Order: sequence, then structure tokens, then C-alpha cells
Amino acid sequence: MPGESHSADQSPSPTQVASGYVAPETLAEALALLAAGPQRTIIAGGTDLVPAVRAGRHDPAVLVDLRRLGLNTITVEPDRVRLGAAVTFTDVLQSDALAAEYPALSQSAAEVGGPPIRNRATLGGNLVNGSPAADSAPPLLAYDASVVIAGREGEPEVPLRSFFESPGTTVLQPGEILTEVVLPRPTAPTQSAFYKLGPRLAMAIAIVSVAVRVTRDGDGEVAACRIALGAVAPTPLRAEEAEAIIASRGLTVDSIAEAAAVASQACSPIDDIRATADYRRRMVGVLVGRLLTGLSTGDDGRG
Amino acid sequence: MVDYELTINGASRTVATDPRRTLLAVLRDDLGLTGTKEGCGKGDCGSCVVVMDGLAVNSCLVYVGQADGAAITTVEGLASGDELHPLQRQFVDRWAFQCGFCTPGMLMTTYAFLGENAQPTPEEVRQAIAGNLCRCTNYRSIIEAVVAAAGERSPQ
Repeated sequence: MPGESHSADQSPSPTQVASGYVAPETLAEALALLAAGPQRTIIAGGTDLVPAVRAGRHDPAVLVDLRRLGLNTITVEPDRVRLGAAVTFTDVLQSDALAAEYPALSQSAAEVGGPPIRNRATLGGNLVNGSPAADSAPPLLAYDASVVIAGREGEPEVPLRSFFESPGTTVLQPGEILTEVVLPRPTAPTQSAFYKLGPRLAMAIAIVSVAVRVTRDGDGEVAACRIALGAVAPTPLRAEEAEAIIASRGLTVDSIAEAAAVASQACSPIDDIRATADYRRRMVGVLVGRLLTGLSTGDDGRG
Repeated sequence: MVDYELTINGASRTVATDPRRTLLAVLRDDLGLTGTKEGCGKGDCGSCVVVMDGLAVNSCLVYVGQADGAAITTVEGLASGDELHPLQRQFVDRWAFQCGFCTPGMLMTTYAFLGENAQPTPEEVRQAIAGNLCRCTNYRSIIEAVVAAAGERSPQ
């Protein structure tokens, strides 16, 4: 027989490593495999990596598959929700707990690719690829998400707002594994929404994406606001000056208009095949205004 | 080369191969199951969709190493002997294909979808096939065929 038997209860053998593909059973094993040589790359869903390898944009020596590490669960705890990095967008869409407390995340999951892509593509993969247009990034930023990184020196939990560095680059270092996305649970009435503007309604990369959240105090006044933008800067980003306008003045016609204008100036979009920078900047203003107005009226602002 | 155990259309198969070949390549080139088509080869068109452990996946985006131990259903697994699956028969009866290249992917996507949603609306079918491109038939007859196939199975 030319092949070597491969079953779930064996540790990776040298032959499997030599084959360029290993699916370890434990996180410790996965970290050891990544550390054991150069050009070792993680594979989760593979929806970005497989075509990148095929197109010659990536040439990993060994792929370390995360599928046996139990990173595909959504765990609701009293003060946070933990999403394993290998949770797929289908998993996100099917979670009633997420839809109830983090609707903008569920809305973004519905915009990822089409159903077969969502069945494989993972939340962790969407983040570690470092795309400015990652669909899940704006809602996760709006919910103050953090990510847990295994194999890291020092604090393993990193706020998502500190995670992205430039197109295709994050703080994740070779040998490290993003294992979880952590969402703090809302402690006060919260509304949120997401909108993706793309060239079509499925299978599209965002031209602009926006997520907004407002959290109110006991008197119903806006206590906190988040406005997060995708595909309009080298990384997904928050429009903090615009957030401050809403946090201090609440959701009024005037404050919303001002926040929308400020947000459109906070981004640094580029011209590309999907849209011009000028169009993107204008659409940031339109969409921030529309989503915040939706929150103020109870309509979701997405129609 | 590594041996991978796959269940293909209900039958156990062992494939000795490079783990980084796509499931699509293994199905077509090693197992001779050429019903599954390669269109774009990067997950955009849905022509290569098969059902893997109950979920529709783009077989061009799955390395066979990722599919180790999985149960795969391809378009060859839909019919029972000479009897077409209701989806296949409705596609034929309603002319839901012209050149036919997208048809295996359409069938497998909607086969998985009907497993989750037995009585879909036309709009739900439209959403379900958002990842499957058809360039020459028309989506309407495809959607009608899927709704009709679902209707055949409705409880009396």
C-alpha cells in the first residue's frame, strides 16, 4: 500500500507531516507542530487558503488543520459569550443566542459568501486574514470583542481594535493560534445593526460595511455608542469621534447627521475595482446615518 | 501519500492521495465521479457543490485531508437505481437546465437545503442558491423545480 493509515486516535506521524498536512488532536500538539519548522500555516475552513495556494499567493510547507481541537462551539457565560475560532458562519447564523444579543453579528454572517461558503468559512479565519473588508469585523468591533491567542507571550486576550495592523496583517505572530472570539454580554438595553453594501447581495466583497451599536442607561439615554467601518481603510476601524457625538448628545436628527459626516471623514478609502474612494466615503456617511436613524426609530434601518 | 477513508454515496472508499488535493479532484479524477463539475475553481460559482456530512460545500475549496472520515453525497448518489430523485425529475420536467453545467451543484445545494427546510418559499430557495451561478437557463425555473420537489414530499 502506498499510503499510511490515518485515524483519529493517532498522533501526527512523521509521514503525515511530510505529506504537508496534519490534523492534530490537541492545542498543545498544534502549537508544537507550528513551532517545529518554517512556513507552517493553519487551515480551518480553507475557503480563503485553498484558492490562495492554488493561485500561487501562498505556499505553505505544512498545513495544520484545527478541526479536531474543539474550537467549534459557542458558549454563553454569565458575563461573556465565547465563540471558538472554528465556528462557521452557518453556526453563527443558526445561533438564537447570538441573534438575540448580537444581531449585527448575525446580520453580517448572512452576508458572507453564499450558503456553501458559510458552511465552511470560520469566524477566526475571517479575522486572521486581516482583510479590511472582513464581514464580521465591524460588528465584532461594535460589540467590543476581543480575541484569545494561544502560544503568545504575555496576555493571551487581545482587544479586536488592537488586532488589525494593515491589509493582510494582524498582531498574530507565526506559531500563534487565534482560538476564541470573546464578546462581553450587554448589561443595559442595547440596539445594534449592520449593513453591507456590495456589488450584489451574495458572493460579494464589501464596498463599504458598517456596524453600529448604542447602549442606554436606566433613563433610556444613550450611554455608549460604537460605529465600526469595513472596507474603507487599511484595517476595519472604529469612528471614535462620531461615536462620541452620539454618546454625548444622543440620537437626534442633528447629532446623527453630524456623526455621519464625521464618520465619512474618519475613513481613508481607496479606489479599486469595486468602487471609488469618493463613493465609499459618501456611502459611509449615508449608511452610518441610515443605521443610527434606524436605531432611533426602532426600525432596523437596513431596508 | 496518505490513506483517507471517505464514505461516498453510501459506500466506504479508501483513497491514497496527497492530502492537499481537492475533494473535487479526488471525486473526478480518482473515483471517476465526473458529475461534479469544476467551474471557477475558487468557490465563486457553486458548480462543484457536494454534500459533506449533511452540509453543502464547494468541493474545490476542501482538501481531501479536511474530508477524512466524512460522508460525501454527489449528484451520482441522488437517484435510486433508475428512479430519479424528485429534485432531478422536477429539473427535467420544468426545463430547469439548458447547458446543464451548473445543474449538479444546483441539485446538491438544494438537496442539502431541503434537508433543513422541507417546505421553502421561492424566496428562501433564492437565498439558498445564492452561491450557485447559472449563466444560461434562468433562475426562475430552477426555483420552481425546487419548490415543486418540496411540494411532492409535503405531508398529506
